Amino acid sequence: MGSPLFLVIVALVFIPLLLGLRLSMQKYSYGIPGGFIGLQNYVSVLRDPATLTAAVHTAGYMIVAVVLELVLGVCFALALNEPFRGRGMVMAALILPWALPSVVSSILWLRIFNPDNGLLNTVLLRAHILAEPKVWFSSRGWAIVFIALVHSWGVVPLITLIIMAGLQGIEDQIYDAAAVEGASAWQQFRYLTAPLLRPALAVALTTGTVIAIAIFDEIYVLTGYQLNTFSLMMQAYQTTFTKLQFGKGAAFAYLVTLATGLFAIGYVWSLRRSEQ
Amino acid sequence: MTRRTFARLASLLAAAAMVAVACTSGGNSTSTTAGASPSISGQTITVLLPPWANVPKDILQTFTDQTGVNVDLQVTGWDAIRNKVAIAGAANTPLADVTEFDWSWTGQFGRAGWYLPLQDKLAPGVIDGLQNNGAFTVDDNQYAVCYSNDFRISANNTKMFSDAGIDTAPTTFDELTADLQQIKDAGVAENPLTMPLSATEGTATLWYLLTLAYGGQLFDENFQPAFTSPDSGGYQALQFMVDAVDKGFVTPGAVSLTDTQSDNRYTSGSAAVTLSGGPDEMVVANDPSQSKIVGDGAFMLVPGVDGPGATFGLPEGLGVMSTSEHPDAAMAFLNWWEQQDTQLALQKSIGLLPCSTAAVQTLVDQGKLVGGDTINQQLQHVAPLFPQGAPPWYTDFSTKAAALINAAASGDMSVQDALNQLASEAQTLQSEA
Repeated sequence: MGSPLFLVIVALVFIPLLLGLRLSMQKYSYGIPGGFIGLQNYVSVLRDPATLTAAVHTAGYMIVAVVLELVLGVCFALALNEPFRGRGMVMAALILPWALPSVVSSILWLRIFNPDNGLLNTVLLRAHILAEPKVWFSSRGWAIVFIALVHSWGVVPLITLIIMAGLQGIEDQIYDAAAVEGASAWQQFRYLTAPLLRPALAVALTTGTVIAIAIFDEIYVLTGYQLNTFSLMMQAYQTTFTKLQFGKGAAFAYLVTLATGLFAIGYVWSLRRSEQ
Repeated sequence: MTRRTFARLASLLAAAAMVAVACTSGGNSTSTTAGASPSISGQTITVLLPPWANVPKDILQTFTDQTGVNVDLQVTGWDAIRNKVAIAGAANTPLADVTEFDWSWTGQFGRAGWYLPLQDKLAPGVIDGLQNNGAFTVDDNQYAVCYSNDFRISANNTKMFSDAGIDTAPTTFDELTADLQQIKDAGVAENPLTMPLSATEGTATLWYLLTLAYGGQLFDENFQPAFTSPDSGGYQALQFMVDAVDKGFVTPGAVSLTDTQSDNRYTSGSAAVTLSGGPDEMVVANDPSQSKIVGDGAFMLVPGVDGPGATFGLPEGLGVMSTSEHPDAAMAFLNWWEQQDTQLALQKSIGLLPCSTAAVQTLVDQGKLVGGDTINQQLQHVAPLFPQGAPPWYTDFSTKAAALINAAASGDMSVQDALNQLASEAQTLQSEA
């Protein structure tokens, strides 16, 4: 209990968490503190219609991003789990998007989606798929899909690595035995790989969900404060640093943390249930 | 630092960490010896400024030579400075002696008591000699002095105008509309006007500019919205912006353009007119490494209803934080910065347009300011955006304004609906404040 590591964790994690919790119960108006107000900040956040809108947008990002990340992550992991020439190069290339800061990758994608001279419009116009340049972020549905795509581009490498770690934990003898029994490649995946990958998938799912709920940089760079793409974390940022309502901002952050925690607990619970 | 102060600071830092705000920072420092003022000589002040105010070391040295005060200059992003000031201010802990103080912070940061009132501490005559300085005053207190005389001014491409058979710049919105149509019809430019319409600050700034240019104001003296009536300046301004998209004067992609990207369309020769440029517009337009219209760009007065319209300043100032440990040395720094020689040296080295009327006139007389005559004329039409001082909720209002203008320009909302919603938001913000 008295180890230095424990003290560091207490100092850097638990104390700030407790102080943040206290802050979330204080009133701040444009930076000026106004005293203890109990759970009023939490009630105010939950009653704000903008919170619901931001939650809907965030759910959209989360669903699109997590599905995309899991599907692509499993495909890439299966492909990279087999030995082939240049595998190391491919692995390095795959990691690159994860290594890029999300602001940088968003700026790169902004050039691709630029309605006037972006790569996407240029290619589609030259291929006569589009008759005129398209403004990609003008409709809410497509804006959410494209932003989730940009987000996933950076997260897929991480998900791939998590699933690869799971794949490498499955012993080859199991596949050898299945092959002897006449199981096809699909049957091996369906009845061996998928069930044995569940722990890794749960970790990937939880990680992808947590990162998707915290989406901020991509939206800020690609669409700014556009009404139809506002996320929960943007709302929290605006509350904290634009309105300078530090207490309400802290309450917002705790509610988002709570929601994220519930997702994580839900995934772990469903994993254990399926194992039983 | 008391326990309570520490606890408050730690709380704010924890909250800041939880919302995952990334702040960039960098910096440099200058320190020398030599002294002129015995009481402050030998002190070191920390100055926190954005990248465009990164004062060269040799210029800072002149301050040290005059006063004996050393300067630790920290340069970081504008947004990061705002966030740092807010957190340090709320926690009542020292951040820096002198910081950037944007005009839009006056209501929030001034009223919060995070900066010292300067009116009784500055050298005599300093405030009177400055343009664009009123934006830093609220409740009769001056919280900063202007160091960057930023304001909005329009610009056109004289070659494109000439190619379309137009030889004079428009001074009214009717003339501007006719000229844009003529340029479009002549095939000189498909979208002859450029403007930012994304949900970013530059879009709101353009709307504010056009509101003033149409002879309107955003709010009355009691901060009640004055832009919902169809004959108001604000309504006509937004209608002009939406019409510009509908008529094809502006590319439909403008709804994704920030102010910088919009300006790129002007300097790349794609557009013949940009309405809300800055006083450094021609520096970029005449730089071959950044522009394809070298020699063709020219400032023009912001159009109005019957003649040149009003514009407004976005001055940036220097403020002294209430927690400053060396307030006298900090004041000496402000007084030094506002000297004409210092302003001229800064204009020459980093391009900051001086706030001193005399310094601007000197630059115009010496022919050292590109488009100086037009700049001087435009400066006579500068009006404050908030004559009664910026309200504390300005930043929040501006964010909402940008988002709603974007929605109107995208066709998601009518002009009336967007402005009604914005008025409602403004009333809510005012009542909460």
